Amino acid sequence: MWDAFITLMINALLFIYNLIGQNFGWAIIIFTVLVRVVTYPLTAKQMKSSKAMQDLQGSKEWNDMQTKYKNDKEGLAQKQMEIYKEKGISPFGSCLPLLVQFPVIIGLYQAIIRTLAVTPIQLVNLSKHINDGANLIPINSQFWWMELSEPERLPILGVAVPVLAILVLISSYIQTKMVTPPGGAGDKAQGAQMTQAMTLYMPFFMGYLAMTFASGLALYFIATNLATIAQYVITGQANFKNILPKLPSFGQQEK
Amino acid sequence: MIKNKKILFIIILAVVALTLGACSGRRVVATGWSGITVNEETVYFSYGPHAYALNLKNGAQQWQFPAEPINGVDFYAAPVLADENSQLLVAGYDSVLYSVNPANGSENWSFGSAENRYVAPPLATEEGIFAANSDNNLYALDFDGLLQWEFATEDPLWASPIWSENCGCIYQASMDHYLYAINPENGKLIWKSEDLGGPIVNNPSISEDGLIVLATFNNEIIAIDEENHQVEWRFQTSDWAWATPVINGDQVYASDISGTFYTLDLQSGETLWQLQPGGGIYSSPLVQDGMIYFSTDTSSLVAVSQEGVVQRNQPIEGKLYASPVGAGDKVLLAPSESDYFLLALKESGVQVWGYPQPE
Repeated sequence: MWDAFITLMINALLFIYNLIGQNFGWAIIIFTVLVRVVTYPLTAKQMKSSKAMQDLQGSKEWNDMQTKYKNDKEGLAQKQMEIYKEKGISPFGSCLPLLVQFPVIIGLYQAIIRTLAVTPIQLVNLSKHINDGANLIPINSQFWWMELSEPERLPILGVAVPVLAILVLISSYIQTKMVTPPGGAGDKAQGAQMTQAMTLYMPFFMGYLAMTFASGLALYFIATNLATIAQYVITGQANFKNILPKLPSFGQQEK
Repeated sequence: MIKNKKILFIIILAVVALTLGACSGRRVVATGWSGITVNEETVYFSYGPHAYALNLKNGAQQWQFPAEPINGVDFYAAPVLADENSQLLVAGYDSVLYSVNPANGSENWSFGSAENRYVAPPLATEEGIFAANSDNNLYALDFDGLLQWEFATEDPLWASPIWSENCGCIYQASMDHYLYAINPENGKLIWKSEDLGGPIVNNPSISEDGLIVLATFNNEIIAIDEENHQVEWRFQTSDWAWATPVINGDQVYASDISGTFYTLDLQSGETLWQLQPGGGIYSSPLVQDGMIYFSTDTSSLVAVSQEGVVQRNQPIEGKLYASPVGAGDKVLLAPSESDYFLLALKESGVQVWGYPQPE
């Protein structure tokens, strides 16, 4: 099953690679956009769930509940769950579609590495996934300054800077902030906690992966982040206010 | 509860990181198969972080190079004796070609100007050392490791250069579909073949009367005349032809990765007989004492008579990507994914010794 999935991805990548003049970097980007289109139902669900959560957390009912149960954490959590159930909102609704995409990320990464096949064993493995395409080998793995089968570093003033990893970190941060509903100051709901943790850790985690593994994966991360941001902007659900860290207002300081 | 969720989240991230790591190309480096060289009483081979010298009689280790593994340094190409056997050339995946003392494994010099892996073993002649690299270049060095010239092709070089007595030149096959004839003194191109239709990942063989036979990923075995540089015949295989064809008298032994083993007539390229014992074939056959030995990636060593009658189909633990190598009355095998790095068998198939994976 998994092997068939990888075979499908490899052949799709090779098809695009050949179609666009044998540029593997662009093949990854185009393939990523196609994957985003295919997984759009998941993204749409995530966006809908986020919006519902945003609306709920800005409602009077929600704020009244926060005030009422401010000294009763268990009661608050129980009441929140009741409201979620009543409104048909899943507190993990914005997280789960992201987690579901992990197999796609892993599959795409395996497809990229197997297709690049820079060693004999990798080429043996690739030969078992493709029926045709011998003339596409070796795959041109150079894309701008990058060798897509290797971790990326760009020498700037004598320092090897992981440019892609930095771009992945920034774009992941913007993307997760943009899609994350703003939690209230006293919001201790488990779902919100999870979402906040994800917002904090995910960009660094993605940046770490981009810095450590083949740059083809980093290219995928950037492309998929930008595609997600574009989807939110196009559908009018981008939450730009969320991107910058919130500073306490003067009014709050005086209190 | 909240704390548990955070832990679960971190575990999910760690699992994803490990999963990616397990399938990455750069961090998991066991990505080649072993090459073997035999000299009198010693067998040299490379696998993973070391090149090894073993006693041919009993498989006892004499030395390993480097003494301790170095992060990111791996060896798979067969070590090559050079300079009247005073040097052993060990080509690394770290882009470095090392010369070591064959007696004790101490380093003489290293050449680090290449920019990619050495998949192919270098060629050593009386004139010097010729090392093909995955950075598309063929490097010519003297016996002190000093660069004499370099020759560029369009794609990575996984095939070893070979020396031709007939033309006094070096032939280099490339993944760019071409065969190049190169002057060994100055690195100038003498002639270049027509586009052979597919990548070539192994070196050609040359017959005594000047026929160059090679295998391509375009599902072909091709013979080229050394004198007029023209293609003499083409033979269609059923899949990619990976291994170097072996010439034995007026026969050519070739194979493809679907597992068909072909015996062709050297002059015409017509099939004399073929068989398919199961599994893909990535390595060249060994012809020894009237028997043909070849291995498959489904872990069997097949012994066939020169008339095409299978004498034995012997299961071996691990995957057999590396070519069997003859050593007197022994057949040496270097299985991958096995408890043994190297096996010495009698021609009857009985194991003489095995060199286990070091702890």
